[in-house]
Amino acid sequence: MTVRLIDDGVYAEPMHHALDQVLLDRLDAGEIEPTVRFWYRSGPAIPLGRFQAYEDEVATDYVEETGIDVVRRITGGGAMFAEPGDIITYSMYLREEDVPADVEESYEALDDWVLEGLREVGLEAFHEPLNDISHPEGKIGGSAQLRSGDAVLHHTTMSYSVDIEAMLKALRIGKEKVSDKAVKSAEKRVARITDHVDASRAEVIESLKGAVDSTYGAQSATFEQETLDRAAALAESKFQNDTWNKRL
Amino acid sequence: MQATESVKVPDGKLVRVEVTYDDTIEDIEITGDFFLEPPEALADLEAAIEGHPAAASATDLETDIQAVEADLIGFDAADLATVTVEALQ
Repeated sequence: MTVRLIDDGVYAEPMHHALDQVLLDRLDAGEIEPTVRFWYRSGPAIPLGRFQAYEDEVATDYVEETGIDVVRRITGGGAMFAEPGDIITYSMYLREEDVPADVEESYEALDDWVLEGLREVGLEAFHEPLNDISHPEGKIGGSAQLRSGDAVLHHTTMSYSVDIEAMLKALRIGKEKVSDKAVKSAEKRVARITDHVDASRAEVIESLKGAVDSTYGAQSATFEQETLDRAAALAESKFQNDTWNKRL
Repeated sequence: MQATESVKVPDGKLVRVEVTYDDTIEDIEITGDFFLEPPEALADLEAAIEGHPAAASATDLETDIQAVEADLIGFDAADLATVTVEALQ
């Protein structure tokens, strides 16, 4: 298997989720080849897990005051707090035949190249079941998958330098008020790449791209116009709307 | 009446239920950071629980949850049945 590698385009949160849906659908329809893409966000966002209750996870007042874009993902898992430059997110769109059928195995197998890329910049990273990428001092990131027809979406968000204080204001972790205790325990749980290695975010992404290439063979690519057009329409009709984002 | 309960499954995910009931379970909303394939099966899981007596046993609920064609990831039918029964107690 070789993959197309898209490392291009700064978009608002709803567009990123629409791109995930459209690229997954287009791969399933045989219209595009397997693809890996890195995300670049235009503003602060909370990608919410598909089955999470909005009110349980999001500090609604803070999020509205500060203009954080909350978007429900098409994948399960937990909420994240993402500010541009602080987070590394990528999506993989793969054929089902190239992914282990067993879910637990597939998360582990699809983390292999990421761990290689992180270790290459000196980060002591390992896979932790079911879906975490960890460091001895805590969780660096997590993945989520969706299987659709003959295609699999596997996307991952990792903390490069997340602002933990802002994260705790934006997310209602455990539905408790933010206290020093909560900050401390979250600090323990979240491990940030920048706390452990000197590499810039761009250098980490370059290392990850190198690992995609050495693992799968990568060809640099850009979004097709049809993908962008369909995603823009879907961002507007679904991922910008409360009907989807606040459905639970 | 309404009741909510949640469970963090050991080595698994958080599952939260909000149950509306009288003598029977009229409505249930299942939320959490779990995974489900296909995701549309959430409605089927809810339907498998709705209609049971509010005094149903976890075993009864589990049998009907298990009959839903879906992969529950980060929790299982017994976890969902148990948290529902706990909400009703």
